[in-house]
Amino acid sequence: MTAATSNRNIPELGAIRFENVTKTFGSVTALDDVSVSFAANKINVLLGLSGSGKSTMLRHINGLHKPSKGGVWTLGTPVHSAGAATLRGLRNDVGMIFQQFHLVESMSVLENVCTGKLGSLRGPRFGLWSYPRAVREAAMEQLARVGLADKAFQRAGTLSGGQQQRVAIARALIQRPTVLLADEPVASLDPLSSAGVIELLTRISREENLTVICSLHQVPIALEFADRIVGLNAGRVVLDRPAAGMTHDDVDGIYAPIPVDERTELAG
Amino acid sequence: MTVDTDASHSAHTGIPHTDASHTGTSHAKVPLPPRPRPSANRIAAGSTLVIILIAAIWSVVALEINVASMVRSLDNAGNFVSRIFPLDFPPLGELLVMTGQTLAIVVVATVLAVVLSLPVALFAAANTTSGPVMRGVSRTIIVMCRAVPDLIFAIVLFRLFGLGALPGILALGLHSIGMVGKLYADAIEELDGGPAEAVRSAGGSRLQWITSTVIPQVMPQLIATALHRFDINLRTSVLLGYVGVGGIGLELANALRTMQYQRGMALALVILALCIALEMLSGAIRASLLGRVPANRRGVLGFIDRVAAGWITAPRGGRELQRGKDGRVRIAPQWDRERIGRFAGVALTIAIVALATVYADLDFSTLAEDLLALPQVLGTFLPPSPQDLIDTLLEAMLVTVQIGLAATLLGLVLALPIGVFAARNVASSGFVANLFRTIIVIIRGLPELILAIVFIVITGLGPIAGTLALAIGSVGLLGKLVADSLEETDVRVQDAVRATGATPIQVFFAATLRQAAPQFIAHVLYQLDVNIRSATLLGIVGAGGIGFYLLNASRVQEFDVVTFIIVMVLVTVLAVEAVAVWTRKALR
Ligand SMILES: Nc1ncnc2c1ncn2[C@@H]1O[C@H](COP(=O)(O)OP(=O)(O)O)[C@@H](O)[C@H]1O
Ligand SMILES: [Mg+2]
Repeated sequence: MTAATSNRNIPELGAIRFENVTKTFGSVTALDDVSVSFAANKINVLLGLSGSGKSTMLRHINGLHKPSKGGVWTLGTPVHSAGAATLRGLRNDVGMIFQQFHLVESMSVLENVCTGKLGSLRGPRFGLWSYPRAVREAAMEQLARVGLADKAFQRAGTLSGGQQQRVAIARALIQRPTVLLADEPVASLDPLSSAGVIELLTRISREENLTVICSLHQVPIALEFADRIVGLNAGRVVLDRPAAGMTHDDVDGIYAPIPVDERTELAG
Repeated sequence: MTVDTDASHSAHTGIPHTDASHTGTSHAKVPLPPRPRPSANRIAAGSTLVIILIAAIWSVVALEINVASMVRSLDNAGNFVSRIFPLDFPPLGELLVMTGQTLAIVVVATVLAVVLSLPVALFAAANTTSGPVMRGVSRTIIVMCRAVPDLIFAIVLFRLFGLGALPGILALGLHSIGMVGKLYADAIEELDGGPAEAVRSAGGSRLQWITSTVIPQVMPQLIATALHRFDINLRTSVLLGYVGVGGIGLELANALRTMQYQRGMALALVILALCIALEMLSGAIRASLLGRVPANRRGVLGFIDRVAAGWITAPRGGRELQRGKDGRVRIAPQWDRERIGRFAGVALTIAIVALATVYADLDFSTLAEDLLALPQVLGTFLPPSPQDLIDTLLEAMLVTVQIGLAATLLGLVLALPIGVFAARNVASSGFVANLFRTIIVIIRGLPELILAIVFIVITGLGPIAGTLALAIGSVGLLGKLVADSLEETDVRVQDAVRATGATPIQVFFAATLRQAAPQFIAHVLYQLDVNIRSATLLGIVGAGGIGFYLLNASRVQEFDVVTFIIVMVLVTVLAVEAVAVWTRKALR
């Protein structure tokens, strides 16, 4: 048994739990018998080459994907068997940010942030004034928090990449989530904006005691940002340990092509 | 750029290198590699094109469109002038009333089209549909609405609802779904799915992510398409005057039916002015909405830009987070010029639509009754039967197809030189290009109905009038497409050919035309499809073909014949479209 799976019965370590999850897309195996759990209130970073399964793993946590085999539990909800209504409820507690920000560029910044609250609102919304006043106020507060209150009425598409990602963070925060998923949040940003966004994410995660699962491909950022690092290679977990005291060399193994018979050894 | 040339460079050195050394050392003849066999599909598509071309030439001959009949109609042209002058305009008050009626019908019809098309498009688009069944149903609705001409909708709906504005509005609205629904679905399918996924992962429902991310993203295209359709509906509504749709078209039809050519031509002129003015307005709004205009324009155009600005420009930033006395966050955007303009635009639109709805004077009092009578009314249309007219009807249908084929061929012959001169990368000077571009724009602005009426007055009733009207009409679209596809071709290839010392004409045939050919053929096939549909319609004003019999059958209430003609038209139109679509795909 690997370290990861043997932890699964300790409750405070089980905010999110993958049990023998395999995910195939046609003939591609994106996740290959993954068993791992993520502790509450910690910043977890997924590392791995492009195509190693990081996005697929994140998308299982809020049910954007369902496993082909195995089970995923998020905050006690069995995601693999959850129906639409249960999933909506769960997603309300799980914020997500993306590499490409995913804002509606022609909409105002403020309205973009309001859309984060849709999970707890009933019925369709169109236009800023269709959101309850409390939601608009909350959106303003979150914008102030990410330092963009003065851009509230600007079109989202006119902001810089770093600013857009901050808006996306505000959109996730307005949900008041307990889990925050971040899929390569700084991969499209220049180094300076990246540093700003990571700093913001770290500060807010600590303030709100968030459970963060973040995929990254910059090892130095990961080492600084993470409490724990999980390495993926070809859909398998090949590294899983606390980030404290880890060096560049420790991480290098993740990126090497690994012969099949050595995989279990590395994962331990 | 650099990467591009580098890549092609290395690709080039790779292969010819061996060739050069080969010929260099031995001077042996390089054997020609066997020509790759064209696929069966391409052969079939090529043959189809040849067959269509032969059919088109045969149509021109069969319809007797030749020098002799042209000369004959030149005589008539003289008579024409004497017959229509002096123009007889109705009193201004009357004119305003009928124009208002027409505009009201067209506005309400277009709004109806948008309201119906949006849900259909959402179910038809792959990224927003609820499942394959609904998608199939919606796609079928779109295809059927496009295939059934407005005229046929109008005939059936007049029978159902009786006279009034309602049948005309429904006819225009329903047929519009064919185009508007299709364009909306295409626009939705092209969207970036990211924002929708973000809302989904925040727990938003399908309806929520559609209204909060999909609709705002396609809003400019939704409005632009609606305006485009408004122009088309305006033209069609005039034509539908022949079957009783009210407004200026009805007056025109009455005038021509009673041979009052002076009144008829005066009305035609008013319609022409109306169409051109509204097309210019809607064109300006569309360009502004899609962000294809220079910044800081003044006057009317500046106002239009500001109205459209909600989707185009960035409002100025607000202030830092502010709290009121009660400690609540202040949410107050600034009322800048763009915002005021956008609100004015929305208010104006609502006012126009409300006014049009009132003015159209819709009478719903008998709606329930009428709908209850639906099965019985539909019964009179069934079963379809040609009565004893089968030969006549088949021949008329053939004439309609011939008109479409001949018009497309003649239009193409006229459009080629005009389009070539209008292309900036082919024309010898910017002035020439602009001149021909202007000619094309003017031709595009002419409603085919007006052209048909002019030709009917000149050449008399019959297919020649219809063919010439559609041929001229085709020059507008084909000329533009010819010019555009030439301008889109890769200039570097032309430079390469020119560098070998080729003459401009050689450059044109070897490089420009060769590159543009596939697109070109696609456009011509599309125009053929459109022309055959239009030929059906123009028949009702007496421009030859099946439309005349359709109108007659509905006048004398032989509704089984109407249905027979409808089925014939549908089968023909769908078959032509299928062939056109298949050929375009096979040649791509
Ligand atoms: N929706 C999908 N359909 C088909 N294949 C997919 C899909 N999503 C991911 N994959 C495949 O799964 C593998 C893992 O992809 P992904 O999780 O996106 O990797 P990463 O985020 O680490 O770059 C890749 O081979 C990818 O091509
Ligand atoms: Mg990824």
